[in-house]
Amino acid sequence: MNNILLLEDLPEIRAWLKALVMQVFPGARITECSRVQDALLQVQSVRFDLALCDLGLPDGSGTDVVAKLRDVQPEAQSVVVTIHDDDEHLFPALQAGAYGYILKEQSRELITEQLHRISQGEPPLSPSIARKVIKYFASQNQPRANSMPEVSLTDRESEVLLRVAKGFTLPEIGVQLGLSRHTIADYVKQIYRKLNVSSRAEAALEAQRLGLFRR
Amino acid sequence: MLIALAGGLAGTGPAWAQAPVQLLREALVVVEVPGTVPAWNTARPVALPDDWALSLPDQHGVLWYRLTLAPHLAAPGAAPGAAPGAVSGAAPNAEPGAALYGLYIERACSVMQVWLNGQLIDDGGHFTEPVTRNCHRPQLVAVPAALLKAEGNLLDLRIRGFALAEVSSRQRAGGLSMVEFGPYEQIAAHHERRLVYAIRLPEVMSGALLLMGSFMFVMGWFNRAQSYLAYFGALMVGWSLLLARLWSSNLPVDNRTAELALAALMGFITLAAVQFLMRYAGRRQRMLDIALPAQCLLMPATLLAAGGGRLFAVAGVWFVLLTVQGLAAAGFYLAESRRQRSRQLWPMAALLGTVGLSLAVESAAQMLPIDSRVVHVAQLLPALGFLVLGLRLVQQYGRAFQSVEQTKAELEVRIREATAQIERNFAQLSELKVEQVTERERKRIAADLHDDLGAKLLTIVHTSDNERISTLAREALEEMRLSVRGLTGKPVRLTDALGDWRAEVVSRLAQTGIQAEWSAPHEEDTPQTLSSRAYVQTTRILREAVSNIIKHSGASQCSVRCALESGDFQLVIQDNGNGIPMELDGRLDKGHGMASMKGRAKQLQGQCLVESGPGYGTVIRLTLPLERHTTMG
Repeated sequence: MNNILLLEDLPEIRAWLKALVMQVFPGARITECSRVQDALLQVQSVRFDLALCDLGLPDGSGTDVVAKLRDVQPEAQSVVVTIHDDDEHLFPALQAGAYGYILKEQSRELITEQLHRISQGEPPLSPSIARKVIKYFASQNQPRANSMPEVSLTDRESEVLLRVAKGFTLPEIGVQLGLSRHTIADYVKQIYRKLNVSSRAEAALEAQRLGLFRR
Repeated sequence: MLIALAGGLAGTGPAWAQAPVQLLREALVVVEVPGTVPAWNTARPVALPDDWALSLPDQHGVLWYRLTLAPHLAAPGAAPGAAPGAVSGAAPNAEPGAALYGLYIERACSVMQVWLNGQLIDDGGHFTEPVTRNCHRPQLVAVPAALLKAEGNLLDLRIRGFALAEVSSRQRAGGLSMVEFGPYEQIAAHHERRLVYAIRLPEVMSGALLLMGSFMFVMGWFNRAQSYLAYFGALMVGWSLLLARLWSSNLPVDNRTAELALAALMGFITLAAVQFLMRYAGRRQRMLDIALPAQCLLMPATLLAAGGGRLFAVAGVWFVLLTVQGLAAAGFYLAESRRQRSRQLWPMAALLGTVGLSLAVESAAQMLPIDSRVVHVAQLLPALGFLVLGLRLVQQYGRAFQSVEQTKAELEVRIREATAQIERNFAQLSELKVEQVTERERKRIAADLHDDLGAKLLTIVHTSDNERISTLAREALEEMRLSVRGLTGKPVRLTDALGDWRAEVVSRLAQTGIQAEWSAPHEEDTPQTLSSRAYVQTTRILREAVSNIIKHSGASQCSVRCALESGDFQLVIQDNGNGIPMELDGRLDKGHGMASMKGRAKQLQGQCLVESGPGYGTVIRLTLPLERHTTMG
């Protein structure tokens, strides 16, 4: 991790986050932004490895930055750092391409651990998020008038999602399916990626349709 | 009466054969010169029945017929001493000449006077205009025996009639039928029988047709959709008047007017019949609406213009025209009916056939002498047919009316249902609106909370040096989130809740190194949902319990069991820790949130029991009745 973007409007929190990040990733260059517009500009010019975005900003939502990052810098990992734990806020961010999410109020240790995990390729997945993902892909799989190449989950991925929804932790699922923790984490990454791809395709189609109407 | 009729018709023959009745078939005929006595020396013999149309085609006016009667020779094959036709069935030795005799004249058209040996014994009616019209009426004349001589009785019949050219039907052209003479009883019985067919039945039919026709006309008048009923009613009334020509003897109008009226009536009947058939078939021709009434007026006009001498001819032409029209309409109706595969086809065909037959017989009677009985039946059958059809039409109408009533009732039911549905929808819409508004409010409150309160709490969490303060602020933040969650009001599926709880409990316990065990029923067995309030409160209870275990129990193992038992949701949290110290029970309750747990459970109409003891660990049993907090599905 050499270049890290920090997007947070509350100054105290930003300072605290910065301190934390410097501890977890020593030697990394940290760019701080407090507005979405600034972050978007930064994303255009600087190459980032990790972006930590807040969702509720004065001039918009961090989801836009996550989306932009996905567009121009697909290798960068964007993590949503937020107060909101409800899927209404988190799901769109995940659809936009976020790699994972961290709840702000958690203790230093927990956040550190989560950051570590995310950077090692183990994005978190809560039961409510898992349920939302299942519902999303179920609605995608219904026959559509506009034939689009559908992105669907493999059986394994669906199984992992179901078990997470039931409340099993990732290590437990690994034990149940006889797979390593790393493999399970890979599945989760795949799920997020497919979610992003599917959502983007859907969004593009919608934009196209709207564009057609406007014409 | 019908049985009597049948017996009458059948019995006419044999009774006739028994009675000693004289049939007088020869007469002398002389034309009357007005104002003088008939000149019998110029009379010529004729055979009876005598039709003026045949023998004296241009004859109109008065004719005298002279017949000879010999009463004592009136019983062929009877013993001389026998008393022919004793009035009250007296002994065969009764005096000859003491009986009452009778004359039966089937047809004396149009009016007759009878003289016996110079004495007037019967007067049929008016000989001057308006002339009495007895053409269809069989005559019975009583002949007292006192007037009869032993032999050489002269029977003079004075007949006033019309020439064929002056009438529209041959039946009303002047003429005299065969005369029958015999005992009064037998003659009267014979007369009575014939009268039934000739006069009585037509009278009855006239009355019935008039009544029913008027009724149907009114029905059709008020119900324009079924105008064919009105026309059928008019047809029946017209036919009733037509039948009236048979029994109405004394009209206040002269012959010409009567014949014109009759002609107009025929036009009217044709109008009614054609219109009825067209409309019953379901087609309506505007052209006919104008043409037929016009014809109705045209017909008598032409007859009037034709003058007295050509009435029969012109009438004949018109009758042919009318018949053709009628046949055309009938044909059209039958074709249309067949095309529509109507069930009325065969009954109507039968009726039309009957009418056609009757018309054919009438037409034939114009040209050939046909037995009067056949003619009578032919005249009455259509009337009967009309009555039957009228009843059918009324029945149909009644049924249609009934089905309309039924449809109306069904419609009312459906309207009620629709109204109820609308009310339900409205209620639903209002509910939805309320839901929408509350949802918006909730989001607004949540946003505000997160932005203001949440931000501040977060700042406290991360900028406070005091661990305890940070923890408190953190817990406050979690509480705030949970409260916002509770505001949604959306029920949570039990399966989903169990998943959420499992993830949280197991990960929290795993982090602190406590071995966690979780058991819950399978997804299929938990279709219920929890109200959001119940979900939030139970989450708090669970969190509180787990926090206590982590912070105070010193346990190495913790098991959480969820179960559904007789409509209740049971949560059992057990740990193998030190338990809650007994002596500090009272204070510990408050400190470790036991009171708050019990309070929350009570709020949800459930209960929370705590069992604890050193070496025994702690067991927390939470029971929540599901019915009150869930919605099925």
